[in-house]
Amino acid sequence: MEAVVAERITKCYGEGDTRVCALNEISIRLEGGKIVALLGPSGSGKSTLIKAVGLVTPPDAGDIWMQGRLVVRAGEPTASASKLRREYLGFVFQKANLIPFLTARQNVEIACEIGGEPNPRARAMELLEYLGVTKRASALPATLSGGEQQRIAIARALANRPSLILADEPTAALDKARGRAVMELFGRVAHEQGAAVLVVTHDQRTLDLFDELYQMEDGRLEGWRDVG
Amino acid sequence: MNLALQDVRRNPGRFVGTSIGMSLLFTVVLAMAGIYQGLVDDATVLVRSLHADVWVVQHGTRGPFADISRLDPSIEARVASVSGVRRARAFTYQVLQRQHGARSLRFALIGEAWPDQRGEELPLLEGRPLGQSHGELIADASLGLPVGTTLLLADEEYRVVGLTKQFLASSGDPVLVATRSDTQLILENLPPDAVRTERERRAERLRRTDLGRGQPSLEDLAVDPRWRPPALPSSTVSAVLVDVDGDARLDDVRRTIASWPDASVYTTDEQTKLLLDGVVEKPRRQLGLFSLILVVTSSFLIAAVIYMLTLQKTHDIAVLKLMGAPATRIAAMVLQQAWLIGLLGYAIAIAIGTQAFPHFPRRVVLTTLSLAGVGALVVVVSTLASLLGVAYALKVDPGRALEA
Repeated sequence: MEAVVAERITKCYGEGDTRVCALNEISIRLEGGKIVALLGPSGSGKSTLIKAVGLVTPPDAGDIWMQGRLVVRAGEPTASASKLRREYLGFVFQKANLIPFLTARQNVEIACEIGGEPNPRARAMELLEYLGVTKRASALPATLSGGEQQRIAIARALANRPSLILADEPTAALDKARGRAVMELFGRVAHEQGAAVLVVTHDQRTLDLFDELYQMEDGRLEGWRDVG
Repeated sequence: MNLALQDVRRNPGRFVGTSIGMSLLFTVVLAMAGIYQGLVDDATVLVRSLHADVWVVQHGTRGPFADISRLDPSIEARVASVSGVRRARAFTYQVLQRQHGARSLRFALIGEAWPDQRGEELPLLEGRPLGQSHGELIADASLGLPVGTTLLLADEEYRVVGLTKQFLASSGDPVLVATRSDTQLILENLPPDAVRTERERRAERLRRTDLGRGQPSLEDLAVDPRWRPPALPSSTVSAVLVDVDGDARLDDVRRTIASWPDASVYTTDEQTKLLLDGVVEKPRRQLGLFSLILVVTSSFLIAAVIYMLTLQKTHDIAVLKLMGAPATRIAAMVLQQAWLIGLLGYAIAIAIGTQAFPHFPRRVVLTTLSLAGVGALVVVVSTLASLLGVAYALKVDPGRALEA
């Protein structure tokens, strides 16, 4: 079963002559266990697609299914968007966006709590161990390296056992080696945890790590390539 | 996990600094409540300490504290003769200000009916009750006159033999206790020149009358310092304190004395109420208004602080929302921070107040009730003040977390 199916997603801004469609009847299917890259120039609609599929900014039209459940019908969420995000989605950002007054473990633990994990602390430690940052569990974000921060952010995204992880340029703030390591980690997460991972990226050097590539242009998906 | 506590734990300087700022305002609110309580306590402590069942005062007046009451001393014997009266005590009361060395002392002078009363019923802290009919005083400790101090009053030396604790008049002035005869000596004392002038005026007035012109020898009597003309009124007393034989006789005694044309009668509770209504009412309103202004000011300040703290956390709130955090969790974080700032500020205010209030010129009384009351007020104010921050936090767009 596809982790996510989006059909004819449209999102436009402005009125009349100034109307611009950032997403123009886009359809996309993302399978669990696969890491997918979303490529395209700035302004092509990648972030808008992430926001629409991530139930952050509802589309004007279109339907979205997650794990077979209709979550957006004709542009309207079928339930509370925050509840749906809690159930199905994980996010990783360009910067790690860790909460600065929580330790690495607590950043993951709070996500586990929100996701309804019965034992959030144990789950947080399990994820930190999975991502190889157990030793940094008590460190505050300000004392972590960029790579460590992104690992914590990935652990946080996995906290609620999501069907889909959306990552918006997660390696933009990292050097080549650390960026590649993080992308490899996403691949491992997808393959081992069974989640679909959609990564917006400009980094051509890591494309070999993806299972599928999508190219966006002017609000449309212009190309698709099955790398695997 | 409590996000508010974690934030406080990681940024203690910011929270403690903010709380100290709030604590200064709360200290003033606490002081207002304490001064009011002290005012009430001070106003009634004298009435309570005298342990009278009934107060007999000048007809139509509200007693010696709220009004001016003058009674002929003979009323003491008249009251004592009423059926049901166990004991009647004349009571004099006057607020005076006298120089003692370089210090100016302001005190309320009351007279004890020697030898029946020597001050045994007073809250003595040190020393002893009055031991002789003349030349001894019991002073409140707040006057700063240790036992053994000699005070010059009415050209005579009086020695402090006992000290009381918090024995204050309704005006907040410390009480000085002497025998009634000493009290009258002190109150009626005139400078020698004034005495001589009055003798001369007395002789002059006599010369203008037929009696004076017909009997010139009377002039010698008029200027004799030992002679007091029978036509002049004797010294007055402020009230008569009555102890009644059993509560059952109280109404009978009251009814009897109230029927006299020259006296009004109050129970101790009525006298206390008169004091509170008359003496304390305006300061109470004044303090209440000050407190209200301070509470409103505190609310605005906490609201501004919480709003600023929430603004600083906009991105974190967006991240939490993106993770699916329910609105209640976000609101709780803001609300709990407001409570923490408020309650920490209040705890600091109590600590400051405990150290500072004993040095205030007026007594500041902190009761458990007033502490709990102001504490509850702090919680309410913090809750109301957090509403602006909560409203802002709930409006934060989770999409802001995706912005670089």
